[in-house]
Formats: sequence, C-alpha cells, structure tokens
Amino acid sequence: MDYSELDKVRRRAMPLQLDVVEAFAAGRLSRREFIQRATVLGLSMGSIGMVIAACSSTSSSPSASGAAPSQAASAAASSAPSTAPSAVAGGKIRIAIQRPVSIDPVGMQDLGGYGITAQSFEFLCTLNSAGNDIAPGLALKWTPNADGTVWTFDLRQGVKWHDGSPFTADDVVASMERLVAAGNSGLKGILPPGGAVATDANTVTFTLTGGNGNFPYLVSVFNAQTLITPKAYVAGTTLDKVPAGTGAWKLLTYNQQSGATFERNPDWWGGTTPLDGTEWIFFDTVGPMVTAYQGDQVDAIVQFDVLSGASLFDDPNFSIIATEAALHRQIWMRVDKGQFTDKRVRQALAYTFDRPALIQQLFKGRAQLGNDHVIWQGYPYFDPSVPQRVQDIPKAKQLLSDAGVTNLKATLYAGQLLEIPDLAVLLQSQAAQAGITLTPSVESLDTFYGAQWCPADPKDPPCSGAQELGIVDYGHRATPDVYLNAALKSKGIWNSSQYASAAFDAAFTEFQTAVGVDAQKTASGKIETILNDEVPIGLPYFYNYLAGNSKKFSGVYSSALGQMFFSATSQV
Amino acid sequence: MARFISRRLLLSLITLWLLTTIVFIIANVLPNDVGRTILGPFAPQETVDALNERLGTDRPIIVRYVDTILGVVTLDFGESYVTGQAVLPQLAAAIGRSAKLAGLALLITIPLAITAGLYAARRRDRPADRGIVLLGVTSSSIPEFVTGTILVVVVGVQLRLLPVLATPPPNADIPTQIRYLLMPATAMAIVYFGYIARMTRAGTIEVLQSDYTRTAMMKGLTTGQTMRRHVLRNALIPTVAVIAVQIGYLFGGIIAVEKIFNYNGMGQTMLFAAQRKDIPMLTAGAIVIGVVYMVATLAADMVMAWMNPRIRLDVER
Repeated sequence: MDYSELDKVRRRAMPLQLDVVEAFAAGRLSRREFIQRATVLGLSMGSIGMVIAACSSTSSSPSASGAAPSQAASAAASSAPSTAPSAVAGGKIRIAIQRPVSIDPVGMQDLGGYGITAQSFEFLCTLNSAGNDIAPGLALKWTPNADGTVWTFDLRQGVKWHDGSPFTADDVVASMERLVAAGNSGLKGILPPGGAVATDANTVTFTLTGGNGNFPYLVSVFNAQTLITPKAYVAGTTLDKVPAGTGAWKLLTYNQQSGATFERNPDWWGGTTPLDGTEWIFFDTVGPMVTAYQGDQVDAIVQFDVLSGASLFDDPNFSIIATEAALHRQIWMRVDKGQFTDKRVRQALAYTFDRPALIQQLFKGRAQLGNDHVIWQGYPYFDPSVPQRVQDIPKAKQLLSDAGVTNLKATLYAGQLLEIPDLAVLLQSQAAQAGITLTPSVESLDTFYGAQWCPADPKDPPCSGAQELGIVDYGHRATPDVYLNAALKSKGIWNSSQYASAAFDAAFTEFQTAVGVDAQKTASGKIETILNDEVPIGLPYFYNYLAGNSKKFSGVYSSALGQMFFSATSQV
Repeated sequence: MARFISRRLLLSLITLWLLTTIVFIIANVLPNDVGRTILGPFAPQETVDALNERLGTDRPIIVRYVDTILGVVTLDFGESYVTGQAVLPQLAAAIGRSAKLAGLALLITIPLAITAGLYAARRRDRPADRGIVLLGVTSSSIPEFVTGTILVVVVGVQLRLLPVLATPPPNADIPTQIRYLLMPATAMAIVYFGYIARMTRAGTIEVLQSDYTRTAMMKGLTTGQTMRRHVLRNALIPTVAVIAVQIGYLFGGIIAVEKIFNYNGMGQTMLFAAQRKDIPMLTAGAIVIGVVYMVATLAADMVMAWMNPRIRLDVER
C-alpha cells in the first residue's frame, strides 16, 4: 500500500468520494466496483488510477496498474472517435431497429425511440465504450456535496447545436424542467421543480430532495429520456419535426413507416466520425431483422433475443454485443386478495422455479440467476449473503400443505413479448410438479398492460385492478430505484402485487438516502432479505441484452436500453 | 349502361356508410383507453387524461360517430393518435406501396394463370391438363407466408439473387423497385395462380361444350378464331369476378407477406393501428380497403357487362 499516493487523493476528495476510496482500500469493494462507484461520484480518472496503483501491493509499476486507468481513460474517451489501424474511412452502416413509436425525447417509452434520438441528442453522462457504465458526455465532471444533496456538473465547453448555436447551461436547465414536469420516472421524487440551476454558462447545480449517491445515473444514458434538448424545445416536440442535437449525427430523413438516415455532424465536439452516415431500417419483429442481416441488407441489429437470433451465434462474421444487464421479468402475485395472500403460497410457487433450466432454455445460458428481488448482481451494493433460492419441490408441497392449500389453480397472465410466452409455459410445467395448476393467458402487450397488469381503474391505489398472477417485463436500469419505488413500495405506480410492507418501505428509504458504500450495501441487504422472504414478485433471472454487428465494422457499442453508438465506428 | 353504373354507385355509397359504422363500433369497443395506449403504462394518469381530452376520446360516442362520418365525407380523417401526423398522407403512402405489390403480383399471376387455364381446358384429361390442375391445387394449398419464407431463405439468403427486404431505397427507379418487390409478389402469385388457373379452366371447359361454340366450329371457324371470338369472353367472366375479389384482399390482407419482407403496406399499417387503438387510422384504412373492394368489383361488373351484354340488360330491365 502506497500511502503517500493514496493521501494525495484523500486530501482532495469530497466526503462521498473519500468513502469509496476507503472502502476500496479496506478491501470492501472490488476493483471493478470501485471504478464504477468512483466514476459515478465524479472522481477523476487520474485519481482512480492513483488509488488503484496505491492499493496494489505487488504491482506498483505503471504498466501493471495501468490497466485500470486505461480502462477508466477509455471510459472517459468513449465519446471520442477512435479509428482502428485497419479501418477504412467513409461509408455507411445500416442498422435494424425496432420501429419507434415516438421520437419525442421527453415522452418516448420504447427502445426504437431511445435508439434514434440518441444519435442526435446527447446526455450529460454518456455510455462508456465498454457499454456497461457512464462516462463524461456533455458534462465533463460532476461533484457531490458532503451528503449528496447537491450535485454540481461542469459542462463541456465549445459544444454547438446542429444549427451552430452554442450549447449552454440554460439548455440543461430547460431540459430538466421539461422532464420534471412530465414526471420522468427516474427523476420523480428526487429532483424537484426548480432543482436544476445554471450557476454560470458552463455549470449546472442540481439540488435534490434528499441525498442520493446515484444521481449521475439518473441524468445519464441509463435514464433514456434525459437527453439534453435545446432551450426552445417545448414538450411534445419530436426530433423529426425539429431536427436538432449536439451529437455526432444529424437527422437527414425520418419516415416512421420505413426508416431514418443520419449524416455526419462536421462540428461535433468529439471530432470527425469515420463513417459518413448511418441508415436505420425499422422492423416490427426480430425474425426479419436476422433475415435482413443474412441477406446482407443490414449490418447491425440493435436488439435481438436468443431464440429469434439463434443463427447469429454461429455466424463467424457477426460480432455479438452481450451486455449483462438488469433486464428481467417479474411474476407478480397479489398479496392483498386471491390465492396468494399467504406468504407460504408465494414462496411455494417460487420454490417450483427451476432457474438454471429457465436460463438455459430461454437464453442458452445468457442470463444470471435471480433471487426473487430486484437487486441485480451487477449493482455495486448487491449483497450476496442472501441464500440463492433453488427449486425444491418437496418444500413447495410442504409450504402449500402448511398453508392449507390444495389443488391451487390460477391463470398466469402475460404479454406477447420476446420470450415471455415461453416463460409462461415453462413455469406452468414447473409449477405442476408441486401440484400447482397454472393456465397461461398471453395477449398483445397493449391489451395486457391496461387490462391485466395495471388497469387504469380503480385509480387508487394504482394497479389495484391487476390480476392475481402475471408476468411483466422490466428494462434495464442503472440503479434499482425505479423498480423499488414503482413496483414494490406501498402504493407504487406499478405495484401490481399491491405489496405494502412497512419494513420494506423503511429499507427502501434507507437505501435511497444512503450515500456511503457500506450504508447502501446494508440497506440493499435488508431489501433483498425482505423481498426474498415475502416474495411479492418471483424473479427468476436477469438476462443479457443482446445486440450485434457485422464484423465488416468495428467500434460499435451499445447500452442495454437500445442505444447503439457509431461515433467511433469504421469499416474494416 | 349509365343506369347500371349509377345504380351500382348508389349501392356503393350505402355500403360505405355501413362499413364506416361497423368499423367505428368495433374500434370503440376494443379494450384499453387511447391515451394510456399511446403514452404507455408508465405515464402519470393526469397526463393520460389530458391526452384523452386533447384527442377528444373522452367525448360522447355519438359526437365521435358524427365526426367520423363527416370526416369520411370531407376526406379529413384527422390525425393519427400515435404519430400525431395527418392520417391521409400516411395512408396514401401505404396504399401506394400495397398497390405496387398487388399490381406486380397480378401482372405475374393473371397472364400465366389464364394461359395455363386455357391450355389445360383444351387438353382436358390429358397429362398436361392433369399436371396443371395438380400444380394449381398444390400452389394454392401452400400459404403465401410459407412460400415467402422459402423464397427469402433460398433466393435471398443462400443465393443472394434478390433483396430480402421489399422496401426499395428512396427514389429508386422502376426496375429497382421491381427487383425489390419480385420475391413477395412471386410468393403471392404462386398462391393465386392455382385459383385463377382452375377457375379459367372450368369456365373454358363449360363454354367449349356449349352449342354456340360447336356451331362456330361447324361453321368453319378455326380453333383460334373460335377461341378469340366466342370462347374467351364467355369463359373469363367468372375469372374476372374472382380477380376482382382478390384485388381487395391483396390490398389489405397480406399481413404475413408484409411482415416477412418488412414491407409497410396496408396490412401492417392496419395491424399497427389496431394494436395501438389508433382509431382515425383504423377507420380510414378500413374505409379505403372497402373502397378498393367496391371499385374492383364495380370495375369487374363493368368488364363482365361489356363482355356479356345480357348482364347489364337484365339489370336495366
């Protein structure tokens, strides 16, 4: 341990940053967790490298400890184009993407919209080139105060909008106000109206309702609507109606029926992109995307599932981007009425899940075990001490017997999306081993959401009209706040199970206000324990986000939210 | 002839009104509310209510019905609930795409199928006839999405002879557009070939057995003259009727082919509108398809009336 180097960082770190440094120095965080947490908290890349080097006991040489700084440096430089040695400048890449429903940056809800808008607009915190964390975007640096209630973002200078006007702090403030007014699910309850203030042309200060150590994620690529739009934008403006942006690509054409094209932004702050432009082709299902790639009519696919894209895994000319992510399915069970009010019955159903088999059959192994709570293993505060629930049919039968339940029959409602219908069938057969008869009922997603998962009536409490049992999909979130707040907190807006637990609510509040690593892990551990025990939702897996591109191109990277980036892409 | 046409037009207007009413009723009894469907399940309820108010979906059903009828009359179908854009231009684009695909499919099918049907009828019960009948039955039995998939895999992916996606690049010239549409059009042509060929064969056999055909031959007309002057215009009457019905289906019913080839014709547009409860688009689309059916059957009736004057004389009497 090189204490003199460590002290250099300690002296200039803010309290929250110091907490992370100490946690890493004490061995409570892995290197990966430390880099992730420190980046979020705004510790500079140089400081991160110094800490890692200082704490490395057997290898203090720059080359050995350089792995972390270069990784961090690559994260910082992720937005700048890098051309591979054998790269060919020019040309276009053709991308298959789900048809966007809306390209209104504030109101969009679908991956198609996220992917298209992220070509022209940018985030304060963008995606790193590894595709798994945030990196400086329109903000170069961000710093919390001592308790994480105030965050100061230093903006990148010299950035211009596509029309040549300068990007300023006023644009950021206006964008945030629009998001807060629209009730953005990531910022709701965290950033109040008027909470974003431009302290000067290049600095924005965010004053939050309470301490929050994860705030940079909430204004990052992982909160897809937090794209920074021009001050003059009004709510409801779509990218095609008023093309704008600070990003590497300028929208040329947009047709919701067929696709979109972008051309290079010659004034982009990140430099000149190797490619001249991008062409996006819209699809409604994955099958034709795969066929189009095989027929050499597209070069990249923004998202595909394992079953529809099975042939891509064996294609030596296709490069798969597999991102471990918090994408998951929740099997909600009504705790307030119906057949699942008894905790033992819910546990019994959870004990019938053969999770490894589900992962193998549905994802060919490309998923991670879930333990009936929403804290994904990839979160830095994940507590691994909660025992993993495994299939135990005798225990399931015993629990049912203890609860006095025999011949349990229920309809399992689900939406027609990716592997969910297959999941419903597999759960049916697994539950049958314990004498539970599930009857899958699969509908189109539009009908399912409004009729089974969270009907609009009755309005209070929200989702109180939900069916007693069903499967719902959740996209990736960089922090679990949205899952915890909306799906599980008492009277949450997506709380189909009608779960209402004072202990859970208290643990969630503790988690939200925790600003140190240890405190977050402690609170997270409580949440995992409570949810694993009470099982308002079954959660068998977190699956990988799959995207990919032809090996004729390099430098493509993607988030788990449908945003694919081509600023560093070139033909090989 | 004028009375015949005007009577048919009047009937078409009544049909159009009935169609609009039925579509409106169906669209308004589908589950889910429009604002929620557009904004998604995560939008705040106040925002959903505000959108419903803006779109007018919270108005009484009678008011909305009258609005719909007026919209049909003035060709103002309003704005799409999903995209916020005017319905008519979007629909016109989708119709254009469907028309191109349907047109190419018919261009391939009709001459081939009629020729095959006539050829088979003249060689009744001989190997050529049996072969064509068998081919026709087989090709009609295979759904177009199966032939489409086979074509995509073999012709598009393995042999790379034709593009697998049917949408050509913007401003593509006609040969390029034909190249892109050839596979889906062929998939459809294979299915309809059998149906039209067998109908032509049956009609021709009946006419060949008639007294006037026998008289023509005995008068000394050559086979070719007999076929052209007497047989064809009588034999093809049922075929014309069948083709007219198929035109309407080709415009709005080939969702499977459109999905396989990622072609945004009327089928996909209507399916999307139904899923999203985009009532203006749904209503307008259903009416347009109805109009296509009516125009096609009216045109077919006029062709049949020209081919066989007894048809229009019967009506006019």
